[in-house]
Amino acid sequence: MKELSLLLRENPGVTDYKINIHQKKSYEMFFVKGKLETVRCTDTCDTNVTVYAAHGEYLGNAEFPVYPSTTEAQVKELIGEAVQKALLICNKPYSLPAEEAGEYYVQSNFSEFCPDALAAVVANTVFDANRITNGSLNAVEVFVNRHHETVTNSRGLQKSQTRYDAMVEAIPTYNGREQSVELYEQYNFSNLDEEALYQEIADMMAAVKARYEAVKPQQPLDCKVIFNKQEIETLVAPIASALNYASVYSHTTIFRKGDAIQKEPTGDRIQLTMAGALKGSVRSSQFDSDGMSLGQMQIVKDGIAVNYYGSNRFGQYLGEAPTGSLPCIHLALGTLPEAEMKTGSYLEVVSMSGLQVDFFSDYIGGEIRLAYYCDGKTCIPVTGISISGSLSKALQTIRFSTQEAIYNAYVGPGKALLDNLKIF
Amino acid sequence: MAFSVFLNSRRARAKDLVKILKEEFDFVSVLGVDTKSKSIRVDSNTSSLSNGDDTECGFVVKLNNGGCFFEYSLDDIGEDVRQTAAQIKDAFVVSSTLRQEPIQGIHLEDTPLVQSFLRPSDLSQYTDGQVLSFCQNTQKDLQGRSEHIRNAFVRISTLEVSKLFISPNRELDQNYIWINGMAALIYQENEKTVEVFALTDSDQMAEVMAKLPGKLDALVEKAHHLTLAKPIEPGVYDVITAPSITGLIAHEAFGHGVEMDQFVKDRALAKQYVGKYVASPICNMRDGAASTLSVASYFFDDDGVLAGDTQIIKDGILVTGISDLASAAQLGTTPTGNGRRQSSRRKAYSRMTNTFFERGTDKLEDMIASIQHGYMLFETNNGMEDPKNWAIQCVAQYGIEIVDGKLTDNYVAPVVMSGYVPDLLKSISMISDDFEISGSGFCGKGYKEWVRVSDGGPALKVRVKLG
Repeated sequence: MKELSLLLRENPGVTDYKINIHQKKSYEMFFVKGKLETVRCTDTCDTNVTVYAAHGEYLGNAEFPVYPSTTEAQVKELIGEAVQKALLICNKPYSLPAEEAGEYYVQSNFSEFCPDALAAVVANTVFDANRITNGSLNAVEVFVNRHHETVTNSRGLQKSQTRYDAMVEAIPTYNGREQSVELYEQYNFSNLDEEALYQEIADMMAAVKARYEAVKPQQPLDCKVIFNKQEIETLVAPIASALNYASVYSHTTIFRKGDAIQKEPTGDRIQLTMAGALKGSVRSSQFDSDGMSLGQMQIVKDGIAVNYYGSNRFGQYLGEAPTGSLPCIHLALGTLPEAEMKTGSYLEVVSMSGLQVDFFSDYIGGEIRLAYYCDGKTCIPVTGISISGSLSKALQTIRFSTQEAIYNAYVGPGKALLDNLKIF
Repeated sequence: MAFSVFLNSRRARAKDLVKILKEEFDFVSVLGVDTKSKSIRVDSNTSSLSNGDDTECGFVVKLNNGGCFFEYSLDDIGEDVRQTAAQIKDAFVVSSTLRQEPIQGIHLEDTPLVQSFLRPSDLSQYTDGQVLSFCQNTQKDLQGRSEHIRNAFVRISTLEVSKLFISPNRELDQNYIWINGMAALIYQENEKTVEVFALTDSDQMAEVMAKLPGKLDALVEKAHHLTLAKPIEPGVYDVITAPSITGLIAHEAFGHGVEMDQFVKDRALAKQYVGKYVASPICNMRDGAASTLSVASYFFDDDGVLAGDTQIIKDGILVTGISDLASAAQLGTTPTGNGRRQSSRRKAYSRMTNTFFERGTDKLEDMIASIQHGYMLFETNNGMEDPKNWAIQCVAQYGIEIVDGKLTDNYVAPVVMSGYVPDLLKSISMISDDFEISGSGFCGKGYKEWVRVSDGGPALKVRVKLG
């Protein structure tokens, strides 16, 4: 078959085009009660073509997939159909990023391993981390992925990158005399650090033992609440989403530049920066799906929305400089050391069913599966409780820790202290 | 619509591949998938016509020799089938440094069956231009209904699935279609912004196009009320669940807990409760691709097992769970047709399909009238399962206060329902005689492996913690 780009140039209806190719190889292992149940390998390539057609004052686009089995005649037909579809779409025109080229490699030590050997190291480390009497890992899944992504377009852009990531899903379980309890753990990483992986799982094994011992408080609790990195990511992700160019352009955001995310803050002021790549983040990328090079953009300064960020298209629509779709979130460290957070009475959240954060309804809350309640003297694991409150009031007094943590797309304080939440 | 031309062109190669691999493996199957999905969307500023996330084309080969399963996902079966077979066998390596032993004693049935399945739809009668035009007109209609609407969105998504399953004794193919419609609003009034949506779904485009415009009045009305909504005072209340919330309870509270791969992993408390009361005696619950017609209705699952209709709870007693091929083999049970994959690149697990409580005998108005102070909850937001410990969290978009047996104009939002599953299910005291199921949902296993599901049922009267 002729090169895709040649076939696209041959059709006079094509004003511009973009080709995204994603080659993925994975090696996956699935364990059931410590035994290997399934091994999976994938070797796949996704090619997606976007056709742009200018008509009158508008620009339309349509896309189609090309599979390894697709023939040249079929591609020509698909291009023709895409042009017809694009002519139905009447959007404001915008230009594609142009004349950029580069081959990138997102730093990882995965390339030093064969996939099966790497998966074995990960699995052995996970199982070794179970040092709890009566503890078990009833289910473990290990995914090791190699991605090669390419973006080319009709404006001379050609970029590719190779990146790796891995994911462990583990179910730490404690099998007590009265009952068996579990927690859920998903750990994503792009660089193998056996010590960090061991500690992550060991911490969850200790936590699941605590869940077994946890009790439902007899009296209603009234104290400050400490969130972990997972909950902080859930808290700041909607702010990042709200300040995306696409959200602003479609009026789906409640925040505009200059708006106070924190009203009359008395705690730490939120400093939020979006970035293409952050050390340790599995979402790190050199460019987005349009091929836009990714840098950084501070979107919240001292609790005030100061900038938007986002894709080439919606940046142009808003008359702003496109930053590209920045995937990583950096929250500046706070001023309260973790030890100082843990003074007096407090409830430290370990595991929730899922924190609900809703800026539209000014709501924050959810069910707690495990937390430590400390009354200033002793700490006990508790369960069977929920929290809820006004999101704006919680953000008013929020304090962040001085120690950094990484969780998926999030890099920032490992702990946050919140007042004004009802525990019930 | 018809079965995939591409998959038909690879049918002979798939059979050859199975034959070659059978020389070395006790069990061999090949699943070919060709899914075309499309999303047509219009708002006040933009429109788009794009591939849906479900779009894919590929194969997955499953092998077993009595121990660990091996799967290989690939884009195509090449002309040189022996080379493809060699490539698959070469990939099946397990590092000698791995300290965990494989499972043993797996025996898989391969009952002979050759059958083609086709579910007719009117989708092919509609061009992209016609669907786009419908979306544009509906969007314009919706946008013009109130000055408080900041943006109105209308989207039609289509899904056409073709699957081919080949094993030494089975040759199955199926083709089916599902269509989802959505209208949504960003609405600003009373110094508050709210986001609301209305959904409809069917296997017929005409039905989606007929139903969606009929939901616009209620959508704007709901948006207005939600700008006046207050936070709920946390506490335990008598609650009536609208069908969407009933479905969420069926799905999160109990559905995940009876996925039998969780039984194999000792991850489900339900395993110890088969044959015991887990719910109120008036409660009956089902799951199955063949249980009703909705988004998760297919003819055979991704293991080549025919679609089932499983009674999970009968008169309050847990009868059985739902299973895929691998978990049934490990448990020594018969697979129920619930082996589902996110795509041909992902593993099959035991998954829910269409999950619902069966209708009861009560009138909804009598149920509301029976409550002195409580809430009726509407519209699923999200939920989270805890099959091992039966904790539950279900989030409703909003609730309406009931006072002295009557629905008021007092809205609360959002509402998080939490508690202990048996407490919730045993608290069911009334079940309405109507029934509604929604096929607009996605379900993850943990935080991944997303598949389309439906859930619903009648209205339930329960007592539960809200916050």
